[in-house]
Amino acid sequence: MIEVKNLTKRFGKITAVDDVSFTVNDGEIVGFLGPNGAGKSTTMNMMTGFISSTEGTVVIDGYDILEEPEKAKKRIGYLPEMPPVYGDMTVTEYLEFVCDLKKVGIFQKKGMIKEIISSVGLENVKNRIIKNLSKGYRQRVGLAQALVGNPGTLILDEPTAGLDPKQVLEMRDVIRGLGEKHTVILSSHILQEVSAVCDRVIIINKGKIVASDNTAALSDKIVGNRVVVEIKCDPVETTEEKEIITDITESAEEVSEGGETAETFETPEITAAGKNIDEIFEVFDMPAVIQSVEINVKEGSIEITAEGEEGEDIREILYNICRENNFVLLVLKPVDVSLEDIFISVINGNMEEEELLNAAMEEEPAETEETETAESTEETEVQAETESAGETETAESPAEDVTEELKEEKENDGNL
Amino acid sequence: MTAIYKKEIRTYFNTLTGYIFLGFFVAITGIYFMINNMSTGSLNYADTLAGSLMLFWILIPVLTMRLFAEEARQKTDQLLFTSPVSVWGIVLGKFLAAVSLFAVGVIITGIFPFILSRLGTIAVEKTINVMFGYLILGCALISVGIFISALTDNQIVAAVATFAALFVLFMIDSFTAEMPISSVSSLVFAGIVIIVIALILYCTVKNLIVSAVFAVIALAAEGALYYLNPSLYDGLISKFFGWFSMITRFENFYAGVFSLADTVYYISFAFIFIYLTVNTIEKRRWS
Repeated sequence: MIEVKNLTKRFGKITAVDDVSFTVNDGEIVGFLGPNGAGKSTTMNMMTGFISSTEGTVVIDGYDILEEPEKAKKRIGYLPEMPPVYGDMTVTEYLEFVCDLKKVGIFQKKGMIKEIISSVGLENVKNRIIKNLSKGYRQRVGLAQALVGNPGTLILDEPTAGLDPKQVLEMRDVIRGLGEKHTVILSSHILQEVSAVCDRVIIINKGKIVASDNTAALSDKIVGNRVVVEIKCDPVETTEEKEIITDITESAEEVSEGGETAETFETPEITAAGKNIDEIFEVFDMPAVIQSVEINVKEGSIEITAEGEEGEDIREILYNICRENNFVLLVLKPVDVSLEDIFISVINGNMEEEELLNAAMEEEPAETEETETAESTEETEVQAETESAGETETAESPAEDVTEELKEEKENDGNL
Repeated sequence: MTAIYKKEIRTYFNTLTGYIFLGFFVAITGIYFMINNMSTGSLNYADTLAGSLMLFWILIPVLTMRLFAEEARQKTDQLLFTSPVSVWGIVLGKFLAAVSLFAVGVIITGIFPFILSRLGTIAVEKTINVMFGYLILGCALISVGIFISALTDNQIVAAVATFAALFVLFMIDSFTAEMPISSVSSLVFAGIVIIVIALILYCTVKNLIVSAVFAVIALAAEGALYYLNPSLYDGLISKFFGWFSMITRFENFYAGVFSLADTVYYISFAFIFIYLTVNTIEKRRWS
């Protein structure tokens, strides 16, 4: 078990990691996700005792990394961003050296090296000099090094960086396999990787944890429960009619480009099972569990995106709507929220709040955010607070108070 | 420590540095041997070793430049410092590896006095003493090289800086002859030394009061001593540098005398630089 408490690292005036706390339980695979320069590597370097923290503690299986470094370090295998290999050694020589370094007994050494070499797939290259190996194999040698001494926890810093797509897939398989026996913490800026491998994600940005949860819960919380339904449109017109219509529209465009008339042509109404768009909208919007409906007309079909209440399965309801109204159902699928969406929404959310913060400082809170699309109800609350605060405070120091409130709000967001 | 030691020895011979070092070492010492002993018919092997001391300028950087600089450049230091090994163990392992290779060189050159002993009678004890002095002088200089290697991640920079440092250490004797000998200049010099020590103290313990108190007391003592007996300060500067001079201290060994004081000096010199190396590494990780 790894407990990280209030970990902070400052390089001069720059705060690389700012008050990071989290716990990783035995057997978990945790992904550390963040853009480049977010503080992932610095955090990992502190967790492994390579550099010290400015504040805060890292405790590994009950041993503090700074107070009892040798005991704590024995329990960790670390693969830094650049595999720490010696180019002039062969793979086996290198692993023997690491065994000695990590104080593996002479009798276990041979068996352990053999086991590790087969588990990361290095049999073919075990007698080759490391500097002649490809990047993918070097990365594996780095991983093999982390496995020496059979540590309970593996800390892998961007384990797939610089590998080709095939190697990336292989590496992920290897890591997934390792996850069965070890606690794994890996960092990445690649979202698919984290979602493919990890049970839990910690999103870090600008040195702070902005979100931490398992992948599914994270997507539920941020994007909600959405289903896409696609139904077939009624055939509108024959091909000849269609041609005429396109002609008309083209000419209409020409006219409007010329700027003479702004007349709009009525396009023939699109219907499905005899219902027009507005009616379709009403039909889908009717059940109470459906919170919002979006309609998007495609060629030959209508796409409806319905958002249900949290935790409700609305697929059956949608199917029944289609059946009752005789809609021809083409597609019915839940919207897969990729981590990418979550990531961007979390990071953008932060940025918007920061903008808000800046705006509040300038004492013009109401004007700047009106056009922003409110992503969540929380955000609208923030806006409301900003406005009311801006209005009710006396002219002396309103900005400060507003900022404080916003900061609180921001912290709450971070604890998602 | 043994893991690091074994690895360094292996690396010396994997990368040819070891062979080049030994070859060069034996070849140059052999040339000195030809000039000082064979062609003159002298049986004093000490002349050869004393003459070849300049060889250290090149040999020591070759031995030490890679040790830490290369680890930092290749980022393999991340492996070392996240392994359950203390920094002392790592530094000592590397130091001992370099010393071992150097010792192998000294042992191989032992063939030269052996040749001499075939040709005539040599003072065995004296020869052993001078070789021992040569060896521990080498150890002391290796520690300087390791310290400099830990300061940079560029081997070439480490090599050039080590060369410069050794040059200064060797040339100190020539400088001392030019130093002012008046007691006032010595007083000023001692004051500067005290302030430098106080600054080092401050950097190490990070306590302003302790270092300030030290500086004030030491400066007061210095002033009082000058007031009581100014003649103590005559020629202090050259005495000071003379005491520090690595070469002056080799003179006893050169004469074939085993000198405990000088042995202790060389060993403490090496220890101080190893300590500084450990401190530099620790500090970089703590900053």
